[in-house]
Amino acid sequence: MVNLENQIFSSYQRNPVLFDEIFDERGQVKEVYSKLFNLYGEHSINDYVNLNEKAKSSFFNQGITFQVYDKKKTQEKIFPFDLFPRIIPPEEWKIIESGAIQRSRALNLFLWDIYHDKKIIKQGIVPMELISSSANYLDQMNNVDPPGGIYNHISGTDVIKHTDGQYYVLEDNIRCPSGVSYVICNRTALKRALFGVFNHYKTYSVTNYAENLLDLLETVKPKGVDVPNVVVITPGMFNSAFYEHSYLAKTMGVELVEGRDLFVENDFVYMKTIQGPQKVDVIYRRIDDAFIDPLEFRPDSSLGVPGLFAAYKKGNVTLANAPGTGVADDKAVYTYMPEIIRYYLNEEPILNNVHTYHCSRPKELKYVLNNIENLVIKPVDEAGGYGISIGNRLSKKEIEVVKAQILLSPRKYVAQPIMSLSVHPTYIDKSESFEQRHVDLRTFTVLGKDKEFVLKGGLTRVALKRGNLIVNSSQGGGSKDTWVLKT
Amino acid sequence: MPLEYSITYKAENTYEEWVYEAYWQFLVIPEENESQQFIGVNFTNTINANNEFSINGHGFKTIRVHPKQKFNEIGFEANFKLIKKEINPFDFKPEEDISRSYEKIQELDFKVDYEAFLRTTHFTHIPEQKTPLFQFDLAKSIFDNIQKLNEYTYGYIHFNADATDVQTTLDEVLKIRQGVCQDFTHLFCALARMNGIPARYVSGYLHQGNGYFGDSQMHAWAEAFIPHVGWLGFDPTNNILAGTNHIKVAHGKDYSDCSPLKGVVYTAGKNETVHSVQVSSQNQQ
Repeated sequence: MVNLENQIFSSYQRNPVLFDEIFDERGQVKEVYSKLFNLYGEHSINDYVNLNEKAKSSFFNQGITFQVYDKKKTQEKIFPFDLFPRIIPPEEWKIIESGAIQRSRALNLFLWDIYHDKKIIKQGIVPMELISSSANYLDQMNNVDPPGGIYNHISGTDVIKHTDGQYYVLEDNIRCPSGVSYVICNRTALKRALFGVFNHYKTYSVTNYAENLLDLLETVKPKGVDVPNVVVITPGMFNSAFYEHSYLAKTMGVELVEGRDLFVENDFVYMKTIQGPQKVDVIYRRIDDAFIDPLEFRPDSSLGVPGLFAAYKKGNVTLANAPGTGVADDKAVYTYMPEIIRYYLNEEPILNNVHTYHCSRPKELKYVLNNIENLVIKPVDEAGGYGISIGNRLSKKEIEVVKAQILLSPRKYVAQPIMSLSVHPTYIDKSESFEQRHVDLRTFTVLGKDKEFVLKGGLTRVALKRGNLIVNSSQGGGSKDTWVLKT
Repeated sequence: MPLEYSITYKAENTYEEWVYEAYWQFLVIPEENESQQFIGVNFTNTINANNEFSINGHGFKTIRVHPKQKFNEIGFEANFKLIKKEINPFDFKPEEDISRSYEKIQELDFKVDYEAFLRTTHFTHIPEQKTPLFQFDLAKSIFDNIQKLNEYTYGYIHFNADATDVQTTLDEVLKIRQGVCQDFTHLFCALARMNGIPARYVSGYLHQGNGYFGDSQMHAWAEAFIPHVGWLGFDPTNNILAGTNHIKVAHGKDYSDCSPLKGVVYTAGKNETVHSVQVSSQNQQ
C-alpha cells in the first residue's frame, strides 16, 4: 500500500517534464520503491534531519573527503551524501552490467589495435585524427604487448536514464576513474543510519570490490612472477582522490606509495623499506601518463619514478591502467563507440550512445554553431566536468564566447543534445525537504586476463543545485547509495 | 674504405648545493645498423656510481646513472669505437615511376604507417604562411624534391651558434633566419611533412675533418622516407646527404625525442653543465 499521507514527501514537487525515478506520471510510487517509501514515511522529517547530520559528521570524522581545485585555493570537502537510496531493479542492472562489460572489452581491443596494426583506421572506420591529434596517444606504446593483453583494467562508465526511460552512456572513463571508495562508504553510512530500512531489501554487497581489484591485478602480473607484489601509487595527499587511494590500498592489503618511495634499478622497480629494497611487480597507478616517468614523459614531474616506463616496456612491472590508455578516454572516440563495438565484437551495442556532433566536421560544425542553445558543448580531452557549456544556460554573450572557442580549434570540441538526466528525491538542507535532483550512475568495471567484473552498485551522483545537470564531485555534486536488487 | 671511429662524449655538472638524489639518462650511444658496426663502449663517471644500460620508450639504448651518495660535482665520459662502412648516398635504385610514388604517399595505409613522422609537433610547427615556404614540383621525383628541400633549408637559415638554443621553435627561427643544426633539421622535417613525406629528426655525431658545419656538440640531421626506396639521410646544415661522416645515435619526431641528456636532480640552487664531443677516425686496413 502506498501511503499518500507520507509526511516527509508532503511538499515534494514533481515536475512532469522530468523522468522521476520513484514516481510515475500519475504521481504513484513505483512498485520497487513502495516499501522504501512507506518505511521512510514512518519517520518524521525531523528524524531525517538528525540522521542526515549524523551521517555528515561521520564522513568528516573518518576523513572521507576530497579536494576541490579552484584558481585561488583548494578546499577540503566532504562528498555530500544523501540518505535516500537509489534502487536498480535486476532486469535493468542486467543491461547496465552486460553493457559496461561489452564496452570495456571493445575499448581494450580498440587500444590493442591502435597500438599495433591500426586496422580500424586503415579500414576507414575511425579517422586517423583520433590518434594523430590526441594528446593522450603515446608513440612509445606502439607494438608494446601489455601483460595479459589488458590496457583498461579499470573503467568507470557513466550512464544516465533519459526521459524515455532508457539508459545512455555519457562517457567511458579509463584513465584513473575515481569514486569507488564512496560507493562503499555510502553503503556503510546508510546501513549505520537506517539498517532497519536496508534490511527489507535483498541488495547485492559492494564490499567485494577490493578483493576483485586485487584479483584482477594478480591476473596481469609480469611473466615469471609467482606471487606478485602489488602497490598503489598516489600523487600524494593533496590529490583530490587521496582518500580513495589510501582506502583501496588498505582494503586490498597492499602498500600505498608515492613516486619517491620507489626507484628503478636495472629495469626493475623497487620499493624503499626499512628492511631494504623490495621488488614491485604490479602498480595500480593513480597518476596520469604524463607524470609517471620524468625521464620519458614530462621532465618536470616530481610525482613519478625515473626509469619506470623502461621497466614497464621490458615487461618487468605491470601498470594498471596501461600507459596510453587515455587515448580511448576521449570524447571524440566515445562518438565512435557503436562502430567500435560492432567492429571488434561483432555485436550490437547493449547500452545507447548519445548522438554526438564532431566540430571537426564542417557540416556538423555548422549545425553546432547554429544550435548551441540546444546542445551541450564538451572539450574532448578534459575530465571532471571542466570546460562543459550547456547551451540553454548560456547568455547571448556567453554563446559568442563559446562559438569563438570552438572556431579556434574545432577538433577540441564535440556537442551533444541536452540529455535530460532522470531525477531522484534528494534531501535538501536549505528547504529541509525532499526535492527532485538530477542523477547519473558511475559503474566500475574491472577487466583482467580471463576476468570480468562489474561492481554491483555504483556511484549515483546527484547535482545538488536545482536544475543543474553536472554531477561531478568537483562541480559541487553529491551522491547516493545505490542498491542493485537480487532477483 | 670503412673508417674506424673513436668518439668521446663528456659532460661536467657542478651544483651550488649538495645533491642527495639524481638520475641522468644519456642518449649518446651510436646505433647499430647496416653501416655502423660497434666495437666497444666505455662509460665512466667521476663518483663511481653504477652505469646501467636501458632501452628507452622509442627503442634506443641509453645509459642511466643513479648515484647513491651526495655530491656537488659529477663528470661523465663515454668512449665509443665503431666501424662505419663507406657510404655512397646515391647508391639506391631511383624511383622508376614518379606518379606511382606520389600516389603511394596519398594512400591511407601509408599515412597511418608513417603517422608519427608526418605529424606536426611542438618543434616542427610552422606558423601559417601567405604562400607556402616550399612546395614540391610534382614533375620531378620525390628524391629530387627532397634534395631541393635540403638546399632550400641550407639557404634559408644562416648558421649561427649563438642565435638560438634548445628551446627555440620554428616561428622564431623563421623570423631571424639564423640557427644551428637542430633548427635546420626541424625546418627540413616540417617542410617535408607538409608535402606528405615522412621525415624524422636524427641525432648523432659528425666527423668534422672535412670542414662541415656543426659544432663540438652532437649533430642533428634528418631522414626522409622515399616510397620504394626507404629512409635516406639529409644534412640540411651542410647541404649534403648523410654519409660516412655521419654517425647516427637515435631518431624521433623532433629534438625532444632525441635530447642527449635527461636529468632529474633533486637539489636547490643553481647548476651548470658543460658538454663536449670529439670524433676522430682512421682508415681501416
